[in-house]
Amino acid sequence: MTTVIELKNVSKTFRGKKAVDGVSFAIEKGTITALLGPNGAGKTTTMSMMLGLLQPSEGALSLLGGAPGDRRTRDRIGAMLQEVAVMDGLKARELIDLFRSYYSRPADRDYLIKLSGLSPSDLNRSGQKMSGGQRRSLGFALAMAGNPDVLFFDEPTVGLDTTARRRFWDEVRQLAKQGKTVLFSTHYLEEADSEADRILLFDQGKIAADGTPDEIKRALVKRSVSFLPETADADWQKRTAGLLGMRLENEAEVTESNGRIIVTAEDTDAVLRILIESGLGIRDIRVDVGRLDAAFEQLTRNHGTNAQIDTREAI
Amino acid sequence: MKSLWMQSKAEILRIVRNPYFVFWSLAMPILFYFIFTRVLNGDMPNLEEWQAHYLMSMAAFSVMGTSVMTFGLRLVQERTQGWSTVLRTTPLPGAVYAASKMFAQMLLNLLCIVVIFTSGWLINGVRLSASQWLMAGLWIVIASLPFLALGGLIGCMKKVDTANGISNVLYMGLAISGGLWMPFEIMPEAMQRVGKWLPSYNYGDGAWSIAAGGSPSAVSMLILLGYLIAFMVISGYVRKKQEAV
Repeated sequence: MTTVIELKNVSKTFRGKKAVDGVSFAIEKGTITALLGPNGAGKTTTMSMMLGLLQPSEGALSLLGGAPGDRRTRDRIGAMLQEVAVMDGLKARELIDLFRSYYSRPADRDYLIKLSGLSPSDLNRSGQKMSGGQRRSLGFALAMAGNPDVLFFDEPTVGLDTTARRRFWDEVRQLAKQGKTVLFSTHYLEEADSEADRILLFDQGKIAADGTPDEIKRALVKRSVSFLPETADADWQKRTAGLLGMRLENEAEVTESNGRIIVTAEDTDAVLRILIESGLGIRDIRVDVGRLDAAFEQLTRNHGTNAQIDTREAI
Repeated sequence: MKSLWMQSKAEILRIVRNPYFVFWSLAMPILFYFIFTRVLNGDMPNLEEWQAHYLMSMAAFSVMGTSVMTFGLRLVQERTQGWSTVLRTTPLPGAVYAASKMFAQMLLNLLCIVVIFTSGWLINGVRLSASQWLMAGLWIVIASLPFLALGGLIGCMKKVDTANGISNVLYMGLAISGGLWMPFEIMPEAMQRVGKWLPSYNYGDGAWSIAAGGSPSAVSMLILLGYLIAFMVISGYVRKKQEAV
């Protein structure tokens, strides 16, 4: 596996506010990575730095072994930004040709036209007269104009209908299979979960979690084991905590509610095993898994509003 | 080289397809020319001279308008719509982009001049010597640089609406007080005294001199050069400040 993108301790400060705060990660070739997080979490700013549109305040970035923003690097990347602007006065077909002329080894024209999904009559229309979805599809084709090795998509499916969205992701899958590296930002957990190999969860400018969708889900969702003690005499809460504290690798939280002892822990299997093996007099054991979307929403709601920084203005 | 050509071609297409360009840079000057030399010319003592003089005014008016309005507004639009950002993710060098914009603009200015000169010839039978036509055309293209720089300065503005308003006021103000719309001599003396220092007056004056058989004065050239440098320095400073985030 080769590393295509590497960030080391990257921060970006806007007017004294840290939009990105000490972010480090490395991306392998041929993978699809989602930058997931609420608005203002630092996804777009991070992506802008990878694209060389913004300079980091601290830290180092490397893209395809070079500096982001370097001409040779740009020749090998493609990007679709949040606001898909289409140059006024040019027809879709002309735009595709124009973009092809920017790159040293452009993609096949017919392939790009197919990718844009535009009909022959739409190809002769100016971008301004297109629907938001059509513009986005055209933006996708333009991002692919240089037959890039790395693709960046900032909120790529906003405004796309279900069919177009499906088509877009099928195409992206294909590209990743060909060895292209894909990064996209989204604030939809569902999308990151179903389309990405790896999720970088952003929160308040930091990476709150990093892993496969399953790992992220496990980290986000609260799992718990609860039971009723057979006797009401002893201090069960303390006893359980002591028992688990000795044998459990990760920390577990023990609470009590209506006489029921609740153990919240990452590895509920291990908790169960310990409890059973200990031979304690317990009954009515339940394993609960919290709702994923609820957990994500909570994370989003906690911080989403106070970290809003308009990065677009800064670009 | 190929990208410069492709980009220039794209820029030319974009400008020509813009209805404002066709209206302000071609239709308006020709219409004005027709009105002020055919309809409202009752008391002009030397009509032929006036017809050549006003043809120069209108050609200058057209090219100044394209430079201030079309060029400046386009820059603001491209930035606010995120287009400049998109281009910065591509390997197209910024210098090639800027050069192609300049080149396209110059080529279209030349086209405007040819069309307006031809209409003067057709409407009023304006006759100048070949070298006068050539010199006047060249002067109007080259001396339009300060206005392109002014367009670049307008291009630094954040909002399309503000830029549109300001460039309209500047354009009209410069055209009228510089004597491009009506003869400079019929304006109040106070206005004339100020007007002599404006880039529009000196721009027009160069062309008028050529049409009258002379050549642009050194003072005009120096004043225009001064404006060019001033506008470039200011927009360089503004851009630097905007980028320093």
